[in-house]
Amino acid sequence: MSGADAMRGEMPGFFPGRPGGERGEPLLDMIFDRRPLPPGAPPEMHDLARMLAVMAGPAEPGELAGEATALAAFARLAPPVGISPAASRPARRRPSGRPGRARLPMAAALLTAAAGLGSIAAAYVGVLPGPIQKVAHVTVGAPLPPHGSAHRPAAIASPHPRVTLAPGISATRPAHSAARARVHGGTASHWPRHRMSVQGPGPVAASCIPWPSPTQSAAKPSPTPSAAKPSLTPSAAKPTPTPSPSVTKAPVGTSQSPAGEDCPYIPAAGAAQAAVNG
Amino acid sequence: MGGAFGDIMARARAGDEAAFACIFRDVQPALLRYLRVIAPEAEDVAGETWLQVVAGLAGFRGDEPAFRAWLFTIARHRAVDAGRSRNRRPTVPLELSEAMELPASADAADLALEAVSARAVVGLIKLLPREQAEIIMLRVVADLDFGDVARIVGKTPGAVRVAAHRGLRRLAELAERAGVTQ
Repeated sequence: MSGADAMRGEMPGFFPGRPGGERGEPLLDMIFDRRPLPPGAPPEMHDLARMLAVMAGPAEPGELAGEATALAAFARLAPPVGISPAASRPARRRPSGRPGRARLPMAAALLTAAAGLGSIAAAYVGVLPGPIQKVAHVTVGAPLPPHGSAHRPAAIASPHPRVTLAPGISATRPAHSAARARVHGGTASHWPRHRMSVQGPGPVAASCIPWPSPTQSAAKPSPTPSAAKPSLTPSAAKPTPTPSPSVTKAPVGTSQSPAGEDCPYIPAAGAAQAAVNG
Repeated sequence: MGGAFGDIMARARAGDEAAFACIFRDVQPALLRYLRVIAPEAEDVAGETWLQVVAGLAGFRGDEPAFRAWLFTIARHRAVDAGRSRNRRPTVPLELSEAMELPASADAADLALEAVSARAVVGLIKLLPREQAEIIMLRVVADLDFGDVARIVGKTPGAVRVAAHRGLRRLAELAERAGVTQ
């Protein structure tokens, strides 16, 4: 539709040269720019300007009702007074304390590495159990396990624990044996005598796992009835020159290891001493 | 706010609640009137707009016209979102409330123009085509130039200017018909 097809009243500003065409354009721009209209402007233009001035006027009752809500939001979200926005921005973007998923694999790798290094260190120190120490010896060149500890499972499997028990019991706990000896008013070397004097079924025998020394089991078979069944497990205990004043012929004194100084079942040992004294 | 805007905005960005209240009182009437033209739920949309303004205030850089353009852009987006949500939940509009805002009674012609409230003028502008009404509100009430209005509504400045002129002429006719003007 061209300009000639439209009625003048429908498009009054688009008929240059005709009465009314483009007449109001500058006036409308003046209204938009809030400039004062010339005195000769049509009255409807003045009314329109006043109406728009009212619309752009100050707040009317009720229009500031949302101020409390907005201020509450501002107090909640805005940075505290005195802190620059630049300083507060990273703090609000700081992630929560929960570790990210990306850090979990790294933590697992660190734990695995720490465990592996710790195992290797333990293998070189020689504190691992015998079979594991053997594996470490083969794999990483760690020292071989002590001789006795390698046979510990066989000793546990011995069918006659009470017969050959005394010499090697405390092989792994010399400190305990010495301490208990002090508690009972004697030296550590006294313990085998008491224990060996109560050859019989009871809690003492059950609690004392035999760890006979190699010298006991191989070179000097026990003269006790159980000597017919020599221990299959030579003790790793070091021989001590202290002879045992045992009342039996058990090779207590032949074992120089601290194994003969300890019994982990102290009440039973006390009962055995009472039996000896009685 | 004029020349004091920079200082007030700096204090508001630093967390000064009084400075933010100054900004709110200066802009809120225009915001609410604009939203009453383009969205039925004007108060709700205004609240959402201020929430977003507060959240982004620390990152704002610019003068007062830039702040107004930013705020009314946010308001328009929130109004569009509210319109989409409203369309998903269609309701029956209450035309009576809009009609009550118009001074269309026979006695309205006796009222002085100064007595016409901004709410009544907004009621008249709502009778314009939506595009013309929004452009007039952004140009007159929000005090944005045609370039900013064009960016907000997604049109060229020339098209915005033409639409604004048409809207004003039609508004003058509506006001004369309603008896607001003589």
